[in-house]
Amino acid sequence: MESYSDLKTETPYSEIKTFDQKKWISENLHYKKDPGNWAWILHRITGIALIGYIFLHVYSLSPLTNGEAAFNNAMKAYTTPVFMVLEWLLFAFVLFHSLNGIRIVIVDWADGAKYHKQLYRMSWVLGIILFLAMGFLMFSHEILKLFR
Amino acid sequence: MYRYRSSKDTGSKSWVLQRITGLALVVLMIGHYILMHYQPDSGHTYGAVLARMQHSWYRIIDMSFITLGMYHGLNGIWNIFRDYKLRPWAKFSIISGLILAGLAFTAWGYNIIFSIPYISGIAGGH
Repeated sequence: MESYSDLKTETPYSEIKTFDQKKWISENLHYKKDPGNWAWILHRITGIALIGYIFLHVYSLSPLTNGEAAFNNAMKAYTTPVFMVLEWLLFAFVLFHSLNGIRIVIVDWADGAKYHKQLYRMSWVLGIILFLAMGFLMFSHEILKLFR
Repeated sequence: MYRYRSSKDTGSKSWVLQRITGLALVVLMIGHYILMHYQPDSGHTYGAVLARMQHSWYRIIDMSFITLGMYHGLNGIWNIFRDYKLRPWAKFSIISGLILAGLAFTAWGYNIIFSIPYISGIAGGH
């Protein structure tokens, strides 16, 4: 990482590495990323995915307007193993966005900038624990069957 | 002295609201997950939904959930666009599109909730 002392030694402008607009993809992929950068990137990706899911969620519940048979029939597809695994993965997105969101609020309102990297690591640990716990809750019937 | 050319809105209100709605959504989401996954069929059969929706509180909670979720999500998308320099017409069309999509799907969600009947005789009543 560059420190401020580097900037004081008058580097000619032509030698300072600047962002190359034409290679924005590779520039974005290759700059050095600290925990905060990753948190920001993943917060965006999970956020976009979650708003997409809300639209999908309203759509998938819309058979409720057509009564019992229509709804139960639609739900049959969503309770298959494939959809349950997808739901579990969705929970990972919800978890990251929630925990990192709490981290952002702590950074903004509770002096969290001083320990935001620890908070980021903690959110991963807590997130993985909760993700596995949810997996057990959702698939406990199948998991317990393996040990019988 | 420099003046804002197009708007005096610095976005600080939207910033505060994004945090408040975010925290509210975390709380609602915990309830939602307990409700939907603690018992396997609690969210996945018509009977379970019908029984729950006899309590008006559940309807109010679901309606605030979708409203807050839509606001938080679409405001978040707009925040992403705000990171880039946009031409006024692009700004206008993106905001309009987001607001229209938000209103349409919120209304659709409300309509789904209202379409579930209140049935006299089912425990809970209203």
